[in-house]
Amino acid sequence: MQSLKRLNHYFIRYWRLFVPGLLFTMISAVFAIAVPIIVRQAIDSLPRFARLYRQFEATSLQHAVYWDLFWTLFVFGLIVIALSLANGAFTFLMRQTVIVASRHIEFDMRNALYEHLQKLSANFYHRTKTGDVITRATSDIEQVRRYIGPAIMYSTRALVIVVAAITAMLIISPILTFYALMPMTILAVSMFVIAQLVHKRSEALQRQYAQLTSRVQETLAGIRLVKAYAREETETRTFEKESRSYKARMLGLARVEAAWRPVFVIVVGLSEIMVVWVGGRLVSEGIITIGNIAEYIIYVALMTWPVAAFGLVISMMQRASASAERIYEVLDQQPDISDNFRTDPSIQKIGGRVTFENVSFQYEANLPYALHDISFDVPAGESLAIVGKTGAGKSTLIDLIGRLTEPTRGRVLIDGRDVQKMPLSVLREGIGYVPQDVFLFSDSIGNNISFGTTGASEEDVRQAAFEAELLETVLEFPEGLQSGVGERGVSLSGGQAQRTTIARALIRQPRIFIMDDALSSVDTKTESRILEHLHKRQGHHTMVMISHRISSIKGADQIIVLDAGRIVERGTHASLMAQNGLYAQMYQRQLLEERLEALQ
Amino acid sequence: MSEKKGLDRRLLRRIIGYLIPYKHWVILAFFLVLLVSFLGPLRPWLIRLAIDHHIVPGELDGLFLLIAALFGAIVLEGALSYGNAYFTQWIGQQAIYDVRVRVFRHVQKQSLSFFDRTPIGRLITRTTSDVEALADVLSAGIIVIMGDMFKLVFIAAFMFSLNWILALVTLCVMPFMLLVTLWFKRNVRGQYRETRKQVARLNSFMQEHVTGMLIVQLFGREKEEMKRFEKINDEHQTAQLRTVFYHSLFWPAVDIIASTAVGFVLWTGGVSAIGGALTVGVLIAFIQYCRQFFEPIRNLSEQFNTLQGAMAGAERIFDVLDNDQSLPDVDAQDPPQRFEGDIVFDNVWFAYKDLDDGTPDWVLQGVSFTIKRGQNAAIVGATGSGKTTIISLLMRFYDIQKGQILLDGKDIRSLRLKYLRWRIGLVLQDVFLFSGSIYRNISLGNPDISLDQVKQAANTIGADQFIEQFPKQYHHDVRERGVSLSHGQRQLLSFVRVLAHDPDILVLDEATSSIDTETEHIVQHALEQVLQGRTSLVVAHRLSTIRHSDTILVLHKGLLREQGTHDELVAAGGLYQTLYELQYREQERAMEVSA
Repeated sequence: MQSLKRLNHYFIRYWRLFVPGLLFTMISAVFAIAVPIIVRQAIDSLPRFARLYRQFEATSLQHAVYWDLFWTLFVFGLIVIALSLANGAFTFLMRQTVIVASRHIEFDMRNALYEHLQKLSANFYHRTKTGDVITRATSDIEQVRRYIGPAIMYSTRALVIVVAAITAMLIISPILTFYALMPMTILAVSMFVIAQLVHKRSEALQRQYAQLTSRVQETLAGIRLVKAYAREETETRTFEKESRSYKARMLGLARVEAAWRPVFVIVVGLSEIMVVWVGGRLVSEGIITIGNIAEYIIYVALMTWPVAAFGLVISMMQRASASAERIYEVLDQQPDISDNFRTDPSIQKIGGRVTFENVSFQYEANLPYALHDISFDVPAGESLAIVGKTGAGKSTLIDLIGRLTEPTRGRVLIDGRDVQKMPLSVLREGIGYVPQDVFLFSDSIGNNISFGTTGASEEDVRQAAFEAELLETVLEFPEGLQSGVGERGVSLSGGQAQRTTIARALIRQPRIFIMDDALSSVDTKTESRILEHLHKRQGHHTMVMISHRISSIKGADQIIVLDAGRIVERGTHASLMAQNGLYAQMYQRQLLEERLEALQ
Repeated sequence: MSEKKGLDRRLLRRIIGYLIPYKHWVILAFFLVLLVSFLGPLRPWLIRLAIDHHIVPGELDGLFLLIAALFGAIVLEGALSYGNAYFTQWIGQQAIYDVRVRVFRHVQKQSLSFFDRTPIGRLITRTTSDVEALADVLSAGIIVIMGDMFKLVFIAAFMFSLNWILALVTLCVMPFMLLVTLWFKRNVRGQYRETRKQVARLNSFMQEHVTGMLIVQLFGREKEEMKRFEKINDEHQTAQLRTVFYHSLFWPAVDIIASTAVGFVLWTGGVSAIGGALTVGVLIAFIQYCRQFFEPIRNLSEQFNTLQGAMAGAERIFDVLDNDQSLPDVDAQDPPQRFEGDIVFDNVWFAYKDLDDGTPDWVLQGVSFTIKRGQNAAIVGATGSGKTTIISLLMRFYDIQKGQILLDGKDIRSLRLKYLRWRIGLVLQDVFLFSGSIYRNISLGNPDISLDQVKQAANTIGADQFIEQFPKQYHHDVRERGVSLSHGQRQLLSFVRVLAHDPDILVLDEATSSIDTETEHIVQHALEQVLQGRTSLVVAHRLSTIRHSDTILVLHKGLLREQGTHDELVAAGGLYQTLYELQYREQERAMEVSA
């Protein structure tokens, strides 16, 4: 429950809603508790009137007694209706304050969480599963909200009703109250026990559900193998087994859940029996009236739900506490890459010279180095190409330029200054990055292109799309640049999506343009046209590019060949060819491939 | 509208059809629910007897009997409602189990072209969560709705039997109750839809931005994205608050209407009590009925909502079930026999899909070749030349459009699918491992393959050494954290798998990825063991494999361009020469270096 304390400042922030809200809760409870008193008085008035009615039999007064009763009861009836109207009005106000406040807090928490997520570095996202983060931002926040809103509202209301009802009952008869409430104590306890069991069993059910899902997932993913070995029957049998145990868990949950109603029925019923039995004796002894019995029956009915709520609220709080803990786990995470005391705010923009000084990098302390002692210097406006096998460390190297990660040893310099001294926003503003994995937001193509700029004109978007060889294709779509990407829009081919990411980087007019194997899904003809466009920008930006296709990097001012995190060859295309090493071999293979492709 | 209703009814009938095997149980459940619905309203009636006949006249002697009856009624109601709640779930879960297994069997039976087209995620949803939604109808839905209706009838019956005037007075607030419920339902249903939409928007924004967070950061868009998030979050909150508003109005309104009925009953009932037309007990009973009466009405409106949700899921499930794309199979029960191994592709044309203009997008164009029994054949070609397709066609994962594939002179379409695939062993490039033990991954659940056979196969392949290093050896779980298998080990396992199944024909898609020299030797040895004495068809990536082949098929762009032995083809100096340079020369150099 410790983590729930950290939520207290939210109550303070919304005290303007909580204070009246709790007040409304209490007022509504008082009105609710007044109804049975009126009912009792109405019923108790009956025998009195009946006696008078008989006394004045056959006199003119009898008529008057009848009308007196008529109007008395009419007033009682009206009071009952008026009380419940008042009760209803305050219940309405109660929900409109407390529940609304809980929604405000939910809103604030979610904003805070998202804002924090934006500050966390690549490191955090490598470690944490996407689904896990999303669960915290959705269902965990919902659990906490239930504690803030409903749980507090129910328990306050329950407390007031129970205290008021018990007081009213005690005044009438302590003995009857004792008997009537005896079964009630079972209710709170059994509610808590059932809620706990239900929670535990639902979790077990969820686990089995996940198991069942992964079973299906596995069979379908391995469907070729299943079919090749004609194992369909075996797979079905395994699936049946998992389904059976899912069913068993489901029924296990049903066994507990089925207890809700009987517990209510029996507890409320027992209370009623006590009221009638013990109350009946008391009536005959003249200690209480028949109206008191009706009153008690209503009290019991009124108290049932509040008493049950106590048990539920405790269970809700337990769940909220676990959820709050998970949320704070993220919020307590310190962003490890951010501006700090070393930041030099006088740096307003970057020029474009990129220098690595003996840079080494390892992802975690016990893992082997992903980069060893990398040094190079690219003057502003020139270009650097990096080639090498998958896993050679190319992407890792590139991440260091934009300071997505930090070197373990050595320094990364821009314009001769350590990137750690640059304000992050300045550094990143100067970089246009095209990642290896194409990632677009589900928005229009135009908005995806202008993603990284503010106030880009339609003309700018078109120009960037043109340079990325995307414009012609996009204009063929019915909605042009306004066409949506993703589920509800057009489905872009791999190449089109990749070209969109190129346009997205180009529109920023970056000082440093980085392409991480960003032409892999583009055919050779389009590729050469894009390279032509980029060529025209030469001198305006420093270019760093990774490619598997040597034809696309031949013209670079510097080429480095990476192997297992080390630079094994470096030079220009001509000098590397002359060396006749790894680079030359790769190039020859690609020439052969092209020749083969050209064969009909 | 009426057409849609008709459709819904047909859908509902079809769903209920799944309950037919359990119809006796369903009938029993109806009786149970009938009894429970009777016992609830019985209580106020018994209390009335106690008040009127014993408490008011002061004759406490007979009271005990009534108390006992009351006690019996509660205990019985408690027990029965427990049994009923559990029992309805039980019936529903039995039926759901049947549906689930049926969907699974159906999906599994589909041809591979179905799987190529349908995302696995969607199929998983069909067998899991959509079936789950059906459970709401099958287990609780129908029986609970019936129970609520019975309850209404019983309460009304009890009220009328006690005093028909008061019964009418109570019922006169009914229309208001209905009106409020309908108003609430209409407003809240649209609002729920809106809320769900907002929740989905919020989730997909989160999903997208957590996945693409590095892009957001690199492009320095934190401020703008925060603004967008706040807007979505705000709209979500607005939708939620509007729902809160309807709820805040509805629940008090229900309570007010019920209390109004109490007020009326008190007034009219009290007035008629004076003439002796009504007793105090009846009045108290009516006060209780007023509250009991509105519960089923509220429940019913909620039940119909769930029902509608379930229908959507059911529709999706039936879509899958009604769309059968499995390959036509032969029913013949001829026992599996050994294949001699003569393979003939006779002018085979095949396309996975059609081009946009409707003509087939040919992957193989009139491919013909013969592999005689016992021969080892290798297929070589550039990426996309159709190598893997030949393997898939021999396994009959797809049916060809033109031509014939013959096995021992028989068209493979005339063989029972199961038997065809039983006698052909397939090793794929990506070794797929199921979660579970090594033993299970090798035997694939075939009870005819004993642990000893697996051990023997592992021994022959040379995989026994690394398997026996695991603490649980053959029972080692391949997905256990920490000790995952290396690429080479996975390949070896797939060889053990195929050897343990002892096929007549071997079909192999060699892995391209390089492995260390030591494992390379073991794999080499393993391959020789597996190929020995079997007709085989290998998509070759290893130099040694093509060198040892009896015949090499050279594919290029869907055409069989050359066929012959390595020496013949090299001497001919055609396409094979170039491919050899490209794909195998480097291996040759490497071998020279290591030698």
